Amino acid sequence: MSTIALPRTVKNTLPLLRDSALLVPLVGAGVLIYLAVLPLFMLLLGSFEVEVAPREFITSLKNYQDAYASEHTYSTFVNSLIFAGGSSLLTFTLGTVLAWLVERTNTPLRVIFYPMAVIPLILPGVLEAIAWIFLLSPKFGYINVALMSLFGLARPPFNAFTLPGMIWIHSVGQVPLAFLMMVAAFKSMDPSLEESAMMSGASTWQTLRRITLRMLMPTSASVLLILFVRTLESFETPALIGIPARIYVYTSEIYLAFSEYPPNYGRGAALAVGLLILSALGVWLYTRSTREGKRFQTVTGKAFRPRQFDLGPWRWVGFTFLLVYFVGVVLLPFLVMLWASFLPFFAAPGWKSLEILSLDNYRYLYGFRPFWDAMWNSIVLALLTATVGMVLTSLIAWVVYKSRLPGSWILDFLAFVPITVPGIVLGMALIMFYVAFPIPVYGTIWVLLIAYVTRYIPYGMRSASGAILQIHSELEEAAGTSGASWWQTFWRVTLPLLRPGFAAGWIYICIVSFREFSTSVLLATGDSRVLSILLFNMFEQGQVTVVAAIGIVMIFTLVAIVAVFQKLSGRVGIQT
Amino acid sequence: MHRNRRLGVHMISGLFLGLLLFLFDSPAGGQSLDELHKLALKEGGTLNCYCTLAVVNAQKIFPEFEKRFPGIKVNHVDLTADQLAARAVAEARGGRTIGDVIQGSLENVIQVFEQKLLLEKLPPEAAAYPAELKGSYWVSNNMVFIIAAWNTGLVQKGDEPKSFEDFADPKWKGKLIAEPRDLELLMGLGRYKYKSDEKAIEVLKKIAVNNVEFHKGHSELAQFLLAGQGAACLTCYSHHFPPQIKKGAPLAYLLSEGIGTINGTAVFKDSPHPNTAWLFARWAASEEGQKVYAVGGRTPAHPKVEPTEKIRPAKIYPIGVAEIKDWKKYEKTWKEIFKLR
Repeated sequence: MSTIALPRTVKNTLPLLRDSALLVPLVGAGVLIYLAVLPLFMLLLGSFEVEVAPREFITSLKNYQDAYASEHTYSTFVNSLIFAGGSSLLTFTLGTVLAWLVERTNTPLRVIFYPMAVIPLILPGVLEAIAWIFLLSPKFGYINVALMSLFGLARPPFNAFTLPGMIWIHSVGQVPLAFLMMVAAFKSMDPSLEESAMMSGASTWQTLRRITLRMLMPTSASVLLILFVRTLESFETPALIGIPARIYVYTSEIYLAFSEYPPNYGRGAALAVGLLILSALGVWLYTRSTREGKRFQTVTGKAFRPRQFDLGPWRWVGFTFLLVYFVGVVLLPFLVMLWASFLPFFAAPGWKSLEILSLDNYRYLYGFRPFWDAMWNSIVLALLTATVGMVLTSLIAWVVYKSRLPGSWILDFLAFVPITVPGIVLGMALIMFYVAFPIPVYGTIWVLLIAYVTRYIPYGMRSASGAILQIHSELEEAAGTSGASWWQTFWRVTLPLLRPGFAAGWIYICIVSFREFSTSVLLATGDSRVLSILLFNMFEQGQVTVVAAIGIVMIFTLVAIVAVFQKLSGRVGIQT
Repeated sequence: MHRNRRLGVHMISGLFLGLLLFLFDSPAGGQSLDELHKLALKEGGTLNCYCTLAVVNAQKIFPEFEKRFPGIKVNHVDLTADQLAARAVAEARGGRTIGDVIQGSLENVIQVFEQKLLLEKLPPEAAAYPAELKGSYWVSNNMVFIIAAWNTGLVQKGDEPKSFEDFADPKWKGKLIAEPRDLELLMGLGRYKYKSDEKAIEVLKKIAVNNVEFHKGHSELAQFLLAGQGAACLTCYSHHFPPQIKKGAPLAYLLSEGIGTINGTAVFKDSPHPNTAWLFARWAASEEGQKVYAVGGRTPAHPKVEPTEKIRPAKIYPIGVAEIKDWKKYEKTWKEIFKLR
């Protein structure tokens, strides 16, 4: 009987399937397919549909003609590539240097920089872009004005409304994502190769360049990919900086298609399919570059604690870098927001504006019932989304990278799909699907949970897969030989080893779902209103300084959540 | 003869039956608001309001409605009008109507009507409104005005604009900001002020020579004006200014003329709470309801009700159904004038 010819992959798979608990990751994969295929299907369908009568559609290629046969197609494509390429490289470099300095060197005071690094992620995108305009506008930007008067310059040195301005403003908002993912990777690194290199006489820089960075290849590729696609689909900077500067990228084109009258959803969807194809290309390249996963397995059965590089006198250079970064990139926009939150309207810092400082905005929020309701909904959703999202993506990452099931790369691709579906398209897809659904989730916060988990699967997946690739199979095999079931192995070996990646993903998803806007806009109702909707609503009404106060409250709430989470996850996981 | 008489009897009974159906089957028209209130209570007492009202306004307006009609609770779905329309249409494609009333920019109300989702009927209270503020299925509820504004720290006394065309003066070069989607300015000037699209295009082309800088969103625009990104704003919203000026912001705005954009109210054809929807639509259009809207911080559309703030321009160029019909044409011209995408 044992001679039945089976394809090799299936043969490899079979022993795993003997364990009935394996159903758990397979169910996870099923949930992913359910969550990702629906918006993908709706997006593709929408891109071929042209409305001929009220709610009557014909299939046509017209949307694609409108979207891609325009005189602007080429310039939009080039702008998008420069914007996404430039931003992802800058973000990755900054995030990696920060993570390395904080996690793996003896740079002074590095510990206090860790929580501060996450702050730009928390500031609502629209507020952050505005804060940067207030700093870098050629006409009134505080930095420009200060430098001009300090050095007697005739022209402002910076201009926010340019392509480099767009790249800078978008990048500094994304650095925390790169930072979190790279910290996780640095944390779970077995230092034995580095130690061998150093013992063989390699300098710190040689070791860093030839060993550390090479070992980080899969995570780096993963981070770069997600940064690239994340930039392609980002909206705030292209809208707030790109539109006045007349620099158009894919997302501003999608935005313009949706804000036409009547809105051209078909053209928007066709443009989004372009994003999808670019992203698919990215995923394919990524899968190719990390195909030989074993090369990158850095967590093995040996006990280890990643070593710290002694930078010698260079540690003061590292310290200066951290200081300049945090003052220039984190503190300044934060201070602009903090300053605004005490003002009745935006005014440049100065003696005159000191007279109008007050706590009025905070007092107003304190007595503003909708604010507290929305705050509660947002906190519940952020916690649930992060937890559900990370458990789900850890299971899927396991299926993709460890189960050896044929075709599991499709899951990896599917887990990436939601990133390319514009928030409003996802929102509309979910409405159409859930409005008549037998389980009455529509109009409650549960439909928002479904939407958020769907939207943030790609981020969870990158964190989880980067981390799972680093775990050597010998650990799971050892557990298996010692008689542990799949579930026991996953729960007691894999998951604890995944902790740094899991924590990074959890924190990221928690923060981004706290401020999620474009899908919530269509799905939230009076009772399930979330903070970002309230914020947008008040912003639209011109209450910008109250919105700044909400932003500040959000920062402190999220910092508290993240701190509690880190304390808890530190207790339950293994100590690396 | 006999046949004719029978036909006559049939016609009369048919008309009578039609009248009965009209009175009892559709939400009642001739009833008092209190009678309608009783019918609304039987529907469960919920009103799903797809309304663009800001939370700050809604907080003052809806509790008054709930107080006036005890037992009715407003479930406020507060989005921008285009998002409300997108949501209503998506829900209809999913096979359900959830909204009872929609209140938002006229073009989006029209968009929902064109999807055959709205009831073609007017509340009796609409009789008090001028023709340009109502249609066959919508009545204006409040208005938003696009006006010119400036930063008093950057524009010297005596240099202030007196009308939109003043911005054609080269002294404004590099000093103007505007919203990229405000083609209502072109419509209003062309259709009402100059009664000639060519003249409006000519004026706007001269303004365009002054390098207008476009920023997305009216809220951002007001902030950038305040900060000095531009000395003057070509298309700001008037209601953004009184609260800021009261707090001492160095801003001023032009109230001699402005473009009036209409926020309309309409009832969903398949509203899950038809009487409640109708009750709200009638109350919102009534003088009583409009006074509440005024106190709540909106500019009422009712001719007899004054706004509480100075936000209604002396001369209004209202953007109505006729202009919205030609939206595409105007949009194309607007984009060409300012080289927008």
